[in-house]
Amino acid sequence: MNHSLKNGLTLAAMTAIAAFGCSAPSALAADAPSWCGPKKATIALLDGFGGNSWRQVTTAAGKQEAEKCANITKYEYADGQGNTQKAISDIKGFAAKGVDALVVFGDAGPAVLPALTSAFKAGKVVVPYRVVVGGKDGQNYTKYVGASFKDDGASWGEWIKSLLPNGGNLLFLSGPAGNSQGLDELAGLKTVLDDKYKFLNPAPFDVTNWDPALTQQVLTAEISKNPKIDVIVSDFGPSLVGALPEFKKFNRSVPALATSDGNSLGCFWTDNNKDNPDFKLFTVATGTDNVRLAVQWAVAEATGGKAPSEQVFKAPTFEDSVSGKPSNVQCRKDLPGAIYLSSGVSADDQAKAVSK
Amino acid sequence: MSPAVHTMSDARERRGFLPFPVAHGFVTVLFSTVALIGACLVFAPSSLSSGALAGSLPFAAVIAIVGLGQLLVVQQGGFDLAVAGGVSLAVVISTHFPDGDNAKLLPAVLIAASCALAAGLLNGILVGFIQLNAIIATIGVNALLYGAVFGVSGGVPRITTPLLAEIAGGDTFGVPHSVYFAIAALLVVSFVLKKTVVGRRFEAIGANPLAARAVGLHVRFHQMMAYVYAQLLCCLAGVLLAGITREPTAFQGDSLLLPSVAVVVLGSTSLLGGRGFPFSTVLAAFFLNQLSQFALAVGVPYSAQTIIQALALGFGIGVYSVRWTRNTKRRANV
Repeated sequence: MNHSLKNGLTLAAMTAIAAFGCSAPSALAADAPSWCGPKKATIALLDGFGGNSWRQVTTAAGKQEAEKCANITKYEYADGQGNTQKAISDIKGFAAKGVDALVVFGDAGPAVLPALTSAFKAGKVVVPYRVVVGGKDGQNYTKYVGASFKDDGASWGEWIKSLLPNGGNLLFLSGPAGNSQGLDELAGLKTVLDDKYKFLNPAPFDVTNWDPALTQQVLTAEISKNPKIDVIVSDFGPSLVGALPEFKKFNRSVPALATSDGNSLGCFWTDNNKDNPDFKLFTVATGTDNVRLAVQWAVAEATGGKAPSEQVFKAPTFEDSVSGKPSNVQCRKDLPGAIYLSSGVSADDQAKAVSK
Repeated sequence: MSPAVHTMSDARERRGFLPFPVAHGFVTVLFSTVALIGACLVFAPSSLSSGALAGSLPFAAVIAIVGLGQLLVVQQGGFDLAVAGGVSLAVVISTHFPDGDNAKLLPAVLIAASCALAAGLLNGILVGFIQLNAIIATIGVNALLYGAVFGVSGGVPRITTPLLAEIAGGDTFGVPHSVYFAIAALLVVSFVLKKTVVGRRFEAIGANPLAARAVGLHVRFHQMMAYVYAQLLCCLAGVLLAGITREPTAFQGDSLLLPSVAVVVLGSTSLLGGRGFPFSTVLAAFFLNQLSQFALAVGVPYSAQTIIQALALGFGIGVYSVRWTRNTKRRANV
């Protein structure tokens, strides 16, 4: 009885496989994306630093993307905890463990390049993304998937131009001194904005380390110094939420804001735009989906799928309180402030990811 | 060697134009602060506007409170490097546990205080009783505290509760509430240190533990308690910071470690222990904060801002160190 059942199951399975084999191209083409090839492979996402909500949402997005390809048999994750030494040993360790493809957020920059190179030379698919690590495609790693911060800057610039066609005073805040993201964004801003637009901050940007407390102090000094600020440009909107109430202490309206999205920021705008007539908000997606493109490249190379056409992630524009396009300002009060409604990961899944 | 110097430092008081004795260090830090305010008036008047002060004083208050904690430890010849972890833990407990619910704020603050008590006791036992090097012991405890920070928060910031934002971030009579907290902490620390038996014993032990032991004081107990007081003050600073910053990160204490030591040194308390100067420490916190506001308001590049601050700090430390070395030599020769 058992024996016949087993036989029956085997037969059924074989039939299924045969059927699958014949009809697979059409069935799979509908389900599996083109970058998912026929070979089986394992993949690991190696984060240089995983300790904030942005990274947790990014990790969830990477996992979702890998799950779209059935031939990825295993998806692993490691957190470098902001420790370069650990990030390097994670890369070496996962390569030695026999993982086929490594997607690496190389926070430490060129410091992780030797480890990436040795993993690549050992025959692994290595895809660093978002942070420039030096080196070359095909020589130190398989493919570098960048993010176009210059495009973000240009998007902000276009919006500012539409808001203030005759020029105005801008304040640009970014993270740590000299970070390449801030410099690229500034270059993007300058491609659109001419000399009529005056940057009030010391060149190239006000340093905030993306720390809300420091942002608050920096903004206080700038507000007291500059009686007229028309637009604030910041590449991490949520870190501004604590600082914007400073304007109230000076009895001034919060000015227009061009930045990246975040639930807490959207809710802050919703709560405060009526009392602050100048408070207009424009956001680009914060880029938690950058990892998806990197995963696509890694999976395509590891499974023999078709490589994606893009090599650089372009963050789409997200909210615009003036035109309402592509979206009005969004706020989900029932969910944590530290989620990003622009993300491909659903808001509820993000809430789960960040409140783990 | 050091005890002789620090009991001698009591003699370094000026009775000049004021009717009561003023510590030499206090005069120096007061003079520096007045000079800085003068410079602000000339070069960056905006940094002294009421709005700017309302925005920056809360951070000065936080530095002052952390500085008072560090002062007590330094008085016992130690260092508390667990300041960063202590503050960060208080921040995450007071934001994550209530999660926007005002009713849970008080329990959260009590939990934060209990954690601070435990961390302080651990530091104190390791340093006071087991006699570990203070730097090594507190670095270890700091790592433990950061483990707890990750355990509570997962590294994710959370928006502070409205009640805490009002208590810590609000203002009464135009003065930010956090400043009142700092003044209260200063008065308590000064009173206990200077006017109570416990406080006098505490200073005496810091000045000369051997002599204190010889007269029968509980040296180890007082040394341990210094770390407990420090962590409790860090907890207060952390809770305030959580209210001042709307969405504080899980690592908010990191940037406070250096200033906490800097204000103690600028306040002229010797790193070898002994007499403490709470008023000078709090004034130094205001000085340090105003200095960064000055640099920001002048609008110099970031590199120059850090250089200005480092120079001021180096100058402050240099002034005391030079005097101190000469004094030692002179006294050693006698």
